[in-house]
Amino acid sequence: MPRKLNLMRTDRVGYVVGGLALIAWAARRPSWPKAAAAGFGAWLVYQAYTGSNPMFRPLGLQVNREPALPAVAETLLVEEAITISRPRAEVYAYFAQPEHLPGLADATLDVIRAHPDEELAWRALRGDRMLHFGSLEFRDAPGARGTIVAARVEYVPAGGSLGAVLARLMGRSPQRLVPDALRRARALLETGEAPTTTGQPTGRR
Amino acid sequence: MRALCWHGRHDVRVESVPEPKILNPRDAIVHVTATAICGSDLHIYGGFVPGMVKGDILGHEFMGEVVEVGSAVTSLRPGDRVVVPFPIACGNCFFCAKRLFSLCENSNPNAWMAEKMWGYSPCGIYGYSHLLGGYAGGQAEYVRVPYADVGPIKVSQELSDDQLLFLSDILPTGYMAAENCAIERGDTVAVWGCGPVGLLAIASALLLGAERVIAIDRFPERLRLAALKLGADTIDYSEANVLEALRELTGGRGPDACIDAVGMEAHAYHNLAYAYDRMKQAMMMESDRPVALREAIMACRSGGTVSVAGVYGGWIDKFPVGALMNRSLTIRTGQTHVQGYMRPLLERIAKGELDPSFIITHRLPLEQASAAYRMFRDKQDECIKVVLRP
Repeated sequence: MPRKLNLMRTDRVGYVVGGLALIAWAARRPSWPKAAAAGFGAWLVYQAYTGSNPMFRPLGLQVNREPALPAVAETLLVEEAITISRPRAEVYAYFAQPEHLPGLADATLDVIRAHPDEELAWRALRGDRMLHFGSLEFRDAPGARGTIVAARVEYVPAGGSLGAVLARLMGRSPQRLVPDALRRARALLETGEAPTTTGQPTGRR
Repeated sequence: MRALCWHGRHDVRVESVPEPKILNPRDAIVHVTATAICGSDLHIYGGFVPGMVKGDILGHEFMGEVVEVGSAVTSLRPGDRVVVPFPIACGNCFFCAKRLFSLCENSNPNAWMAEKMWGYSPCGIYGYSHLLGGYAGGQAEYVRVPYADVGPIKVSQELSDDQLLFLSDILPTGYMAAENCAIERGDTVAVWGCGPVGLLAIASALLLGAERVIAIDRFPERLRLAALKLGADTIDYSEANVLEALRELTGGRGPDACIDAVGMEAHAYHNLAYAYDRMKQAMMMESDRPVALREAIMACRSGGTVSVAGVYGGWIDKFPVGALMNRSLTIRTGQTHVQGYMRPLLERIAKGELDPSFIITHRLPLEQASAAYRMFRDKQDECIKVVLRP
């Protein structure tokens, strides 16, 4: 597999600084554990040199250097699709309510494009800072199996892509929130309710 | 209310917990009159199932009386006597429409966890880890039943709990295992494991036209039941080499279909591969011990079917893929699509063609569930199936 550039520009600076710092710290009074730390530092510097972190792909992190909105230079990209066994107009009508869009965090969403039954696009600002933007594309599933909703969400991660890795490991990352929102939409449209266990009994924790 | 809660490996306790509430419009609350311990509950008890949280209420085989229904449930009303299928399925999605209920796309609120393990998520299951939704189970006085308008089946008062309870899981599971064998006239079916599912698979295979069934186990009481009650030939794997015995019993060709009713905690004697799997499993390098599955594949006649009803969770190795490919074997498996089997099997029970209650060896109050788990795990007192009454 060819190596793909997946570090953000800001990360590369951080990787070089962090990696060299680790090596310098280890070199002052060498020991075996410190040698391992120095090795890790060297690996960070190497990643900065190649511009590629091999852990990102398994974590589903994708860096996008050509964001759909020109206001930001680089974003992380989440792409997800789901098939919902309901007609396209009904699925579109659901997502046309801004609170149903697979947005991230608590930001107000501005819908910037709305082509009925075809596409919805939005962006989220806090003050004048761009948090994320995204779009949904609607098309008929082949074989009359309902509607495919393809989501594309781009965001500027707090703390660069390293911050994104931490968020991913902690759980509440866009890579989780977007598919969860799509699944919730499917459940509501197909069954009339979203599955939950919140409020059920459990024994002593 | 009282409920059986999981607290860790080999640690389950009956505790007082809050009563369940209606959380969604299609929910119902069922007062449990009978619930059973499943062989797959022992995988949880033994600590082999990931995604368990201390305090989780166990149990996915249960029946009872409806006491409350949500605003969208019109097909049930308080007082109805119901058996509840263990897969939680919405009845509306692509898979439910194909009657593959255990693959329901909408019932697992933790689908992302299952997707990490298995690529895609199957349905939610009561009391079977947070990977499968984290739903509170039915080894309790009361239980919340989602999608109550499509799952539970109403039953009359004329049949007993003992006759009906197993419609919730093991009777459809044994039946689907046999159905997956695509039995033809004259076929011989071999069944690994004579626990409740294995015994009901034997009964179902005979009902579906198998000429002969060969039952494999090591516990005399189980082999006795398979032979005397069901008329199966038996192999005691603690004494015989199973592959040689099957070859001889089938005239050198192998059984036409093989059913694995054992799953991830298989046991074997004098077997190097078994020692290897035990060791790897203990070191967390392999999640399942596939001794029975490997043997079923090796034993099956060329062009035959291996039907897997035993539960597996993760990854195995030394999988005999060469035998599978070169000998044109078919593998069929899956969590049971219970909702699709309840009505026809209820009819067979009502007509007297099938009475699954013969497997019950112990009837105990729910309060003794903790001791019952231990007894069932250790096969003490010739235990085959425990029914608990809250």
